[in-house]
Amino acid sequence: MKPIIQLEHVNKTYGSGETAVHALADVNLTIEVGEYCAIMGPSGSGKSTAMNVIGCLDRPTSGRYFLDEVDVANLSDVELAHIRNRKLGFVFQQFHLLPQLSALENVMLPMVYGGVPNKERRERAAEALTRVGLSNRLNNKPTQLSGGQQQRVAIARAIVNRPVVLLADEPTGALDSHTTQEVLAIFGELNASGITVIMVTHESEVARKTNRIVWFRDGQVLHDRLMPEDLAQAVTT
Amino acid sequence: MDIFESVNMAVKTLTANKLRSTLTMLGIIIGNASVIAMVGIGQGAQRYAAEQFESLGPNVLFVIPGSDEARQRTFEVERALTLEDAEAIASQVPSVDAVAPQLQSQQPVTAGNRRISTLILGTTPDFTIVRDFDMEQGRFFSETDLQRNTRVVALGSDVARRLFSNTNPIGQQIRIRNLSFEVIGVMESKGAFLGNNQDDAVYIPITTMSSRITGNTSPYGTEVTFISVTARDENSINAAQFQMANLLRLRHRVVNEDTFTIRTQKDALEIVGNVTGALTLMLAAIAGISLFVGGIGIMNIMLVSVRERTQEIGLRKAIGASQSDILLQFMIEAVILSAIGGLIGTGIGVAGVSLVAVTTPLQAGVSAAAVIVAVSVSGGIGLFFGVFPARQAARLDPIVALRSA
Repeated sequence: MKPIIQLEHVNKTYGSGETAVHALADVNLTIEVGEYCAIMGPSGSGKSTAMNVIGCLDRPTSGRYFLDEVDVANLSDVELAHIRNRKLGFVFQQFHLLPQLSALENVMLPMVYGGVPNKERRERAAEALTRVGLSNRLNNKPTQLSGGQQQRVAIARAIVNRPVVLLADEPTGALDSHTTQEVLAIFGELNASGITVIMVTHESEVARKTNRIVWFRDGQVLHDRLMPEDLAQAVTT
Repeated sequence: MDIFESVNMAVKTLTANKLRSTLTMLGIIIGNASVIAMVGIGQGAQRYAAEQFESLGPNVLFVIPGSDEARQRTFEVERALTLEDAEAIASQVPSVDAVAPQLQSQQPVTAGNRRISTLILGTTPDFTIVRDFDMEQGRFFSETDLQRNTRVVALGSDVARRLFSNTNPIGQQIRIRNLSFEVIGVMESKGAFLGNNQDDAVYIPITTMSSRITGNTSPYGTEVTFISVTARDENSINAAQFQMANLLRLRHRVVNEDTFTIRTQKDALEIVGNVTGALTLMLAAIAGISLFVGGIGIMNIMLVSVRERTQEIGLRKAIGASQSDILLQFMIEAVILSAIGGLIGTGIGVAGVSLVAVTTPLQAGVSAAAVIVAVSVSGGIGLFFGVFPARQAARLDPIVALRSA
């Protein structure tokens, strides 16, 4: 399989001297096209930092990061913005929908920055919302939607520019168990359609739905391809 | 992202926060309205004062006591100008048509049991020529009245109404400082000249004025407050000025500094223009300060807005907005606020100026230049005060922005 994400000796250090915090220490990680991957670990383990580096929201202090075979570690702000727009889709715990825009307009937003023609935007946004089962909620404002529906709008926004990688940061953290299942089902479908899904979570049940668990600790990958049955043990150690 | 898209986005954001947007605009609205109104009123005052002098006709010259330098040095200049000077000008300066010396004093005037205080103006028959002042009723006093110090009076129209209501004042007696005067005429209604109501005055022969009312207050003869002169025609104005100056220098035995100043209508217009121009500038400056304060208000609210919308900014960055996209978005919001505020303010300013034009004699008008300057300045203010908050927004770290609860 072709690697889509390749971290080579990636370090991320905050501060300097004695007070320096090594959030990532010599991380090597390869994720291939079509994988469904959970990143786990205790708080402060570096999993969020890893997610930010992978999402091109943050640059590594040293090391190389190939995204879709392009070294993105040293790209400019504008180039990174372009990559986030075209190749990546983000889903967050707090949804982060803009309250003054309708569901459709929220989903259209990435295409606004991507320079997609207006007519095509509407079609693609409606299509993405249909895909997450919200074809009858196009013109609702976020406040008129339930938490699960809001997160589905956010997922539609993440996939509307047809990204190669979908990055989800605790996507079910603010949802009840029923809507969690709904959202995970959508992730499963998206992954089945060929999108690489990477998800940070601290919930074992959520992680079990994926087919690869990467366990971070102290800024390093402690376990990779952790078997679900070993998960309980990893959580306690 | 193109500019139309950005404007559309900004409008959506601003209309989502109507109250805040309106309050933010208020500063600019007030600033702009006051600039337009102040400049309009100032220019109106300028025009009004200029018209007053223009209404005298271009041939009028004024002789006033004291040199320019003396007037700058001291508040009270020497009372060097006399009735005899005026007579000398009338008889010896060939380029002069009419000479009207003026001596004035505020005094109580009674008629029957009515008592008012008004301006007593002693002058010569030429006054009606110089000022282009006609009679409503009766006659103005004559050369003979002047020579005989007769106690006759022509009433300003307001005075006539206040003292005699609807009865005919001609032939009646009034008392000025307990001296009785016969009313021989009523002047036409003329309105104010430079803030003095010419209808609220009575006109008597200057000889009577100095001998009976004010007394000889100048060491050189019968003091006059100033002398108005008309030249024969427009071409003789300079000659009149020159000849009068020479005559007065001889009469006053001037060796170095003049004891008088001669101003033409043009001089007077220039002075009025300078004074009212400075006034307009001052008003505009004060109004400009409020416009500046309005700009600071915009910056303040935009900074709060950036704080409040950190998550939005983080999200926009995550889905592909570059720093310049964010910068542009906040700049456009600031410019829209100030430009719309500027337009509304201009509307209010124009309305205010029109109101002044209708309710006062000031010919206040809005100049296109003032509108263009005010609107573009307020737009510029939005740009200027929007830059700082917009940069703050553009530089936000997306991760920090998304994490902030």
